[in-house]
Amino acid sequence: MRMSSFWQSDTFSGWAFISPYLIAFIPLLLWPFFQGLWMSLHDWNLLAVTFNPDAKQFIGLSNYAQLIGGDNLSWSLSQFWPFRTVLLVGGVTMFLRARRHNRFDRGYVWTLAGLATLWLLLGIRGDWYDPRFWIVVRNTVVFVAWVVPLTTLTALLLAIALNRQGRWAAIMRTVFFFSQILSVTVVTLIWQLVYGVRNGFIANLLTPFGLESPNWLTDDQLAMGAIVVATVWWSVGFALILFLAGLQQIPGDRLEAATLDGATGWRKVVHIIVPSIIRTVQFVMIMQIVLHFQVFGQSHLMTQGGPGDSTNVWVRYIYQSAFRDSEVGYASAMATLLFVFMLMFSIVQYAVTKRQEA
Amino acid sequence: MQSDRKTPLWILITVTLAAFVWLIPVIWMFSLSLQPNELLSRTTANTLLGLVPWPFTLENFQAILAIGDTPRWFLNSMIVAGLSTALVLVTSTLAGYAFARVPFRGRNIVYPLVLAGLMVPEQVVFIPLYVFFSDLGAHNTLPTLALPRVALPIGVFLMTQFFKDIPMSLEEAARLEGCGHGRIFWSIMLPLAGPMLMTLAIITFLYSWNDYLWPLVSAQQREVFTITVGLAKIQGNFAQSQGLGQLMASGVLASLPVIALFLIFQKYILRGIALSTDK
Repeated sequence: MRMSSFWQSDTFSGWAFISPYLIAFIPLLLWPFFQGLWMSLHDWNLLAVTFNPDAKQFIGLSNYAQLIGGDNLSWSLSQFWPFRTVLLVGGVTMFLRARRHNRFDRGYVWTLAGLATLWLLLGIRGDWYDPRFWIVVRNTVVFVAWVVPLTTLTALLLAIALNRQGRWAAIMRTVFFFSQILSVTVVTLIWQLVYGVRNGFIANLLTPFGLESPNWLTDDQLAMGAIVVATVWWSVGFALILFLAGLQQIPGDRLEAATLDGATGWRKVVHIIVPSIIRTVQFVMIMQIVLHFQVFGQSHLMTQGGPGDSTNVWVRYIYQSAFRDSEVGYASAMATLLFVFMLMFSIVQYAVTKRQEA
Repeated sequence: MQSDRKTPLWILITVTLAAFVWLIPVIWMFSLSLQPNELLSRTTANTLLGLVPWPFTLENFQAILAIGDTPRWFLNSMIVAGLSTALVLVTSTLAGYAFARVPFRGRNIVYPLVLAGLMVPEQVVFIPLYVFFSDLGAHNTLPTLALPRVALPIGVFLMTQFFKDIPMSLEEAARLEGCGHGRIFWSIMLPLAGPMLMTLAIITFLYSWNDYLWPLVSAQQREVFTITVGLAKIQGNFAQSQGLGQLMASGVLASLPVIALFLIFQKYILRGIALSTDK
C-alpha cells in the first residue's frame, strides 16, 4: 500500500533516518576533510589567525613545493640501490610471471606501474627545501618495512599452529590476541620499562651475566628496532585473527588429499596452506601498511622522535608542525600527502580484492 | 580445524613457551604495581625477575585512588567512551536501516559519500577539527572528546551490511498491514539486531577508550584528560613524581576495563574485527 503523503514517503523517512548521523558526519568528517585541503593552500599560522582571522594568506601549492621540492635536482641510478634492486627484481619477476600466464589484468598493470614509478622517484636527489620531511618519510617507510613483514610472518606461523580445536589452542589464541586491546600509552609504558637501562626487564636478565644493557631507546642504531619490536608485539593479534578466519575457508578435503599424498609438516604448509590463503595474506599486509603509516604514539612516547630525528615519523612531524610550531597550513599539506599515499594503497587493496572475487 | 590430539608435541611446547614470553611484559606490569615503591627504587627483579609480586602490597592502588588525577581521568574516559558508544549506536543503527531498506531519493549519492569517509584517517582531519572546535570555544570539554568518533562511518557501514542481509519477507507482512518505516524499524529490525549492536558497542568502546591523538590535542587541562592521555603525561616524568609502583598501578587501572571487556566479550570483539575488515 503506497502512501501519497510526503510525510510518509520513502524519501522523507530515509532522510529522517540518516539525518542524526549526517549531523555528525558533515561537520566532523566531510567538512574537515575539505577544510584540510583548503588550509594546505595557505600560509596559515594558528596563533596569528586566532588573534586576527585575516592573517592567513593564500599561497597556492607553495606548501607542497616546500615539502617535496628542492634545488639542484638530479637523477641517480645508484641512490638507495639495495632497496631499489629489490624493487626492480620484484617488478621484473611479477612482469615475467604475468607474461607467462598471460594475465595482465588491471591490478597487475597498476601495481607494476606503481613499482616502476617508485623505482624512478627514488633516484631523485638534490638539496631539499625541507630535508626533515624526507627524514620522517624515510623513517616511516623503514618502520612499516620492518613491522609489516615481521607481524605477518609471526601471525601466519601462529595461525597455522593454532588453527585447531580444543582448549589449549583457544587459550593460546586469547594470549596472542590479548596485547592488541591495550592502548598505545599502556604499551609504551610497559615497553619503556622493559627497555629501561638501569632496571628494565632486559637489563635485569643481562646483569647476572655481567653484561650491560644497551641504551635501547637512546641509541640511534637501536631505537627504531626497539619501537618495531614493541609494535609487532602490540599488533600481531589483529593479523592472527584474520589469518585464522582465512584458514577456516580452506576446504578440509584439500588438506586430506594432500595428507593422503604423503605431504606432511612443512611441505603441507608451503604447498597447500600458504597458497590457499595468499589472498588473505596480501589483503592483511596492505591493511597493515595503511595502518602503520599512521604510527604516532610509539614514536612520540617512547623516544620523542629521537635520538636526533632517527625515530621521528610522518604523523609526529604533522603534529609538531601544527601544535608546536602552529604552522597548520604546512601541517595540512603534509597530512594531505599522507592521505594521497594511503589512498594509493587503498586502491591497490581494492584491485587485489576485485581479483580475488573474479 | 584439526583436533587437539594430533597437535605435535614440539608445537605444543614452542607455542606455549612463546605465549609465556608474550605475556611477560603485562605480567610484569601487574606484578610491579603490587610491590612497594621503596623496593622498586632499588630493584625491579626482586622475586623471580620481579614477575611474582612479593613482598605484596596494595598501597600503590590506594595511593593513586586517594590522591592524584588518575580516578578523575578514569571517570573521564568512562564518560567519553560511553557517550561516543551511545551516540554511535543510535546514529549508525538509524542510518544503516535507511541505507539498507529505504529506497529514498539521494541514497545513491549519500551512501557512497559516507563509504568514502572510511578512507579518511583521523590524522588527516584532526587539524581542521581542532580549528573547528577552537572556533566554537569547545575544547577541554568531554563531549568534544567524544563527538569526532560519532562521524566515523564504520558503524553505519556495519549496520547497513547487517540490515541488508535480513530477508525481505520479514517486513513484507508488516508493510501489507500499513506499517511505516518507524514501526518496522522499531518492532522488527531492532530486536533482530541485538548481537550486532553488542559487537558494535564493544569495539566502539574499546577504540574510544584507547584513542590517543584526538584527546592529546583537544584536552589541554589536566581535569579533562582521558586516562590514555593522562598516562602518557605521567610516564614522561615518572622518575621524579610518584614512583614506579604507582605508575604501574595507573597503567593497570587504564587497562582494566578493556581487559574485562575482552575476557567477557572476546567472541564479539573477534567478530567485530572480521566484519569491519570485510569490505
